[in-house]
Amino acid sequence: MVNIKINGKELKVEAGKLILDAARDEGHDIPTFCYQADLMGIGSCRMCLIEIEGQKKLQPSCITPVMDGMSILTDSPTVVSARSSMLEFLLTDHALDCPVCDKGGECELQDMVYKHGPHTGRHAEPKHRHHGKDYVLSPVIIKNSNRCVQCTKCVRVCSEIVGVGVLGSIGRGIHQEETSFFKTYLDCDHCGNCIEVCPVGCFMRLPYRYTSRSWDLKSADSICTYCATGCRVVIEERDGLLVRSRAQLGVGLNSETLCARGRFGYDIVNSDDRLTTPMVKKYGKLEPATWEEAFGAIRKGFRSSSPARTGGLISPRMTNEEIYLFSKLFKGPLQSNNVDSSMRWSPEAVEGFAAATSMTAGGVSIFDCMDSQSVFVVGTQLSDENPVVDYIVRRISNANGVQVAIASSRGMKLDSCASQTLRHAPATEGDLLGAAALLLADKDAVRFAGNADFNSIKATGIDTLAARSGVSRSEIEALVSSFGSSETVGIIAGTEFLRFPEGSASLALVVEALRGAGKKVTVIPVLDRCNQRGAWEMGAHPGLGTAYSREGVKGLGFAGMMNTASEGKLDSIYIVGENPVVEYGDGNFARDAIGKVGFVVVQDTFMTETAALADVILPGVTFAEKDGTYTNQEGRVQSINRLLPPPGDAKRDLEIISTIYNIFSGTDDVPVKKSAGIFAEIREKVSTYAKVDLSFNNEKNTFNDLDNKESLVGGSSASLSMPQVTGSAASSLASDGHAGFTLVTGNHLYHSGRLSLRSEILGGFIKGAIVEISEEDADRLGITSGEKVTVAGSRYKAELVLKTRKGSASGVAFIAENYNDVPVHKFFRRGESVASVKIARS
Amino acid sequence: MEKILLKNIDKPEAYKLENYVANGGYKSIRKALEMEPDHIIQMVKDSNLRGRGGAGFPAGLKWSFIPKDPTLQKYLCCNADEGEPGTFKDRAIMDKDPHLLLEGMMITCYAIGASIGYVYIRGEFEYGASMLEAAIDEAYEKGFLGKDIFGSDFSLDLYVHRGAGAYICGEETALLESLEGGRGQPRKKPPFPALAGLYAKPTVINNVETLGCIPAILEKGPEWFKAIGPEKSPGTRICGVSGHVKKPGLYELPMGVPLRELIFDHCGGMRGNKPLKAVIPGGVSAPMLVEADIDTPMDFDSMAAKGTMLGSSAVIVMEEGTCMVKVAYITSRFFSHESCGKCTPCREGTSWQTRVLHRIEHGEGRPGDVELLESLCENIFGRTFCPLGDGAVMALRGALKHFKEEFVYHIQHKKCMVDS
Ligand SMILES: Cc1cc2nc3c(=O)[nH]c(=O)nc-3n(C[C@H](O)[C@H](O)[C@H](O)COP(=O)(O)O)c2cc1C
Ligand code: SF4
Ligand code: SF4
Ligand code: SF4
Ligand code: SF4
Ligand code: FES
Repeated sequence: MVNIKINGKELKVEAGKLILDAARDEGHDIPTFCYQADLMGIGSCRMCLIEIEGQKKLQPSCITPVMDGMSILTDSPTVVSARSSMLEFLLTDHALDCPVCDKGGECELQDMVYKHGPHTGRHAEPKHRHHGKDYVLSPVIIKNSNRCVQCTKCVRVCSEIVGVGVLGSIGRGIHQEETSFFKTYLDCDHCGNCIEVCPVGCFMRLPYRYTSRSWDLKSADSICTYCATGCRVVIEERDGLLVRSRAQLGVGLNSETLCARGRFGYDIVNSDDRLTTPMVKKYGKLEPATWEEAFGAIRKGFRSSSPARTGGLISPRMTNEEIYLFSKLFKGPLQSNNVDSSMRWSPEAVEGFAAATSMTAGGVSIFDCMDSQSVFVVGTQLSDENPVVDYIVRRISNANGVQVAIASSRGMKLDSCASQTLRHAPATEGDLLGAAALLLADKDAVRFAGNADFNSIKATGIDTLAARSGVSRSEIEALVSSFGSSETVGIIAGTEFLRFPEGSASLALVVEALRGAGKKVTVIPVLDRCNQRGAWEMGAHPGLGTAYSREGVKGLGFAGMMNTASEGKLDSIYIVGENPVVEYGDGNFARDAIGKVGFVVVQDTFMTETAALADVILPGVTFAEKDGTYTNQEGRVQSINRLLPPPGDAKRDLEIISTIYNIFSGTDDVPVKKSAGIFAEIREKVSTYAKVDLSFNNEKNTFNDLDNKESLVGGSSASLSMPQVTGSAASSLASDGHAGFTLVTGNHLYHSGRLSLRSEILGGFIKGAIVEISEEDADRLGITSGEKVTVAGSRYKAELVLKTRKGSASGVAFIAENYNDVPVHKFFRRGESVASVKIARS
Repeated sequence: MEKILLKNIDKPEAYKLENYVANGGYKSIRKALEMEPDHIIQMVKDSNLRGRGGAGFPAGLKWSFIPKDPTLQKYLCCNADEGEPGTFKDRAIMDKDPHLLLEGMMITCYAIGASIGYVYIRGEFEYGASMLEAAIDEAYEKGFLGKDIFGSDFSLDLYVHRGAGAYICGEETALLESLEGGRGQPRKKPPFPALAGLYAKPTVINNVETLGCIPAILEKGPEWFKAIGPEKSPGTRICGVSGHVKKPGLYELPMGVPLRELIFDHCGGMRGNKPLKAVIPGGVSAPMLVEADIDTPMDFDSMAAKGTMLGSSAVIVMEEGTCMVKVAYITSRFFSHESCGKCTPCREGTSWQTRVLHRIEHGEGRPGDVELLESLCENIFGRTFCPLGDGAVMALRGALKHFKEEFVYHIQHKKCMVDS
């Protein structure tokens, strides 16, 4: 602590704190352009100059730390005049075309000039213009450099946070212009963070262009509905159309950043293909119907099925309240534990993953995880699947010198800030971590003596495990030694453990061995659907009830339901927000199976292939039209708020589910229209949610302290077991015969499942399906990026465009799970996510 | 007077290694390699040698900031950007006597523990760069560079790096940024280069002329050096004289020679014996002086006392009849053209200033323009990120201070007060 004075007031502040922060903490307003809490300070715009008594020159408060004895003046006449003169300078070459500028009304330059002057101009010379008309930089960016204040935040966010670095300054002096290389069209991540940080109307959103003035927008606080990072967004509408989704500085764990999906995937809400009326099958044909008819049909349809012969699948994009009530409907009135929320993964895989990542212990903040000396990213294509976590890891590891190690099969953007990258064969996370666990447990043999998982990997031996994973023993030793030299270790583990569940046992062993060695280990599970964690915690799982409590009788998971259905033994099924006919591991099988179910109800926002098979279709709503809460991957509970009314006759999902609940519970309760009541019930009935505090939601956090721990779920006493799974991936590959490449899947950077495919803006980023292999493999095959190739496996063959990726392991091919024209699951055996394929130029 | 820096330049083929050795070169480095590095730093400190790049910072003191940790990579960067208008001294050393610079760099690298040194040379100096490269090649051949130089256990590599023609890259942190392959813009300080410079490693940056003094200090000792010129800024200085004198050129003289002696004795006086109107004593960033000031001695402290600076000791002499509005306009245009664009007051302010001066110069001045210029100076000065913006203000303030009436006349009469 040091003693300083600010405007005469004596204070004690932390040594090394920036003068700007110290002054702002005291409530003094210091305007800034180039300063941004999460970017490296550059001190260039000179807006934040302050006076330090005894120093001749004014000093930039955004890069000057406090020193003992400093007496700081933030409002002296010199400071005030410097401020207004900086603004006067910025206006000299500024286009000042506010009436046609999209930023008008929410422009930092307007606000600052209004507040700090000057209110008359002295510059009467011709202005420098960088260009004539605005120019398009990407499918989402349109640029007007004549309004630039040269804060370079766009350039810095792109390189320091996003890690893409395609922007830079060209020219010198007044010719300096922040743009792409020679102003060429950008092939980048399309995240739009450059737009968000731009204080003026320079980087602008192309899709939003000229749609509204900022004061004509209505807005609501919400959460991105794609991956499970849980980014806070503000959604905005004009005349019933959603026109913008944006992030706010200092709000949510993402602060001002988002990925392309979060910032541009909002337009699904406006889609013309939305379902707007209930439909009921009459004489074999789906016809528009009234809600009474629909509910009447459901009353009849479900009544006639026995509990064991009914099932429910709900999407992990639905709210906690909806999923809670849905599970309660099945496990209560319908007396069936056949409930699932993870069509792509087995219930055992879910349980193993939840156990290995200590999800029962309650929520863990990503910032606590990053507060470790070393961080290990494994089983996730983090940069593509959870881009904002990638940003957080990049930013914090660079700022604090955290050692990052990444184990994956494919190269990723985050590799550039890793001190170690391990490239393993697909589906061998378990082998790699098994070898690591054996090395770690070397000194702690007693602890694991009776552990069956441990004994089984021990019998295999380090060298065999390493050989299977394709990573050398010395690399694994280097990883283990980097853990050894850290007292705190963070682990970020993702969905590959759900695709290849044999990895979870090894992950659990590594965590246990590290904890046994006295290290603080913080594990963050990373997931790809916004409320996947919430869905599990609300009991949408056949074997687990709320908060991971064990159900007495284990019900059927979705795969089980499909098997039962294919034998003609399922009487009814209720599917909310999922489209198994295209997204389940074996779509044709699902189509046949669902065809054999006596009574099918599908609730969705769009007409889907699955809905086409239904007896009753219930039109639900999107995140923009409802309230509720999501629990993100860390266990952070956050709310979404309705901004728009349901389209047409559609109803809010909670109202639909509660009406059906009332039908079968025999109560005459009115349908639930507000989520708050259900959340109160969740708090009461689900122990881990009892203390969750949502009050921070929708509040701006002025101190940029992005971690609202009060909204993390608590720990439960439930204990999960590590289910026995055998090396299915390896055996499936063996049965395929080695064809050259091992095909794996996951989400594309611009997509999340199939929902985002409805977004026209996101759809504009990639045209057609892509198969991705390493640069070296492409060279070996003599094929270049952009060429058409045929990918052939033993079950399916398709033509795609080849793209290369730097740093991927040799022999790995990747096709995202998001393409309608090339459904990757057709390559796989039912329920699996890996296959052998051949790739050749078509 | 004995010359230190230009002693070889008139000798035939002085650029050749064998001739440099024959003229007594590469003795000091051999001597240095026998000494403790700290001892060398102490000698340079004791010599009171001050940086010749412009700021006059004591060289020995700068070196002493380098951490002693032997495991840290350290660098020496020779600032050969020579961008200040009027300055052409460093280039003479590089063109004609490159081994002098190399020897100075070798000794400095040994003293600070740097195993790599760079010469960051102004892009336009194609010839100088080729001379340096040839000299470096020769030195490698002889074992004067590379592994275990001169048979010692000290290894050193030197490289020449050509700039791309920006004045700002002469500012030391912009130089480092450019050397790393980045955009030539200054970095914030702290951290100072001595702790985190090139590639974030401890780095010394010295001007060519500064480094050129080192062999002589080693050879003849700090006391000898300190005895030349004023004790607080001793040694000789290469004055590059341009403008309206009879014999413009480079003159190596002891520090502290009065301007009058330089102009009237060494340079043969004013061209056509016209009266002297003004003189810029240290490159265009230095405010100009008038006839009444020219008895001021040319050393760092005396010039500062006169409100100007010795800078790069590039002396620009102007005779009666020179239009000061034009001088101010051209100078201002230079600064706004060279402003790197990083900070607001310099980027926008120097350009605004230039636009106003352009108008005045072209007969479109308006009442109030002088006050506007003065106010712009006030709004720029001391508020920029690096000293370039300050330089633009100092130059203009110098002209306004002595010749305000010329500006006023220009504005009122839409033409020059002087007929040149
Ligand atoms: C705008 C600007 C331009 C400069 N240009 C040069 C230059 O061309 N050559 C030079 O030696 N120093 C130049 N300097 C000074 C350097 O920043 C630095 O002080 C000097 O190289 C240090 O060397 P010295 O201590 O040996 O003088 C410049 C400084 C500024 C602010
Ligand atoms: S959209 Fe994202 S990746 Fe593209 S330039 Fe902007 S910040 Fe960089
Ligand atoms: S484009 Fe925007 S963010 Fe980038 S430098 Fe200009 S004002 Fe700043
Ligand atoms: S998709 Fe994930 S990372 Fe991207 S904005 Fe949404 S929540 Fe954030
Ligand atoms: S004063 Fe500012 S704009 Fe001018 S050269 Fe220095 S950093 Fe660049
Ligand atoms: S905010 Fe401090 S200089 Fe820009």
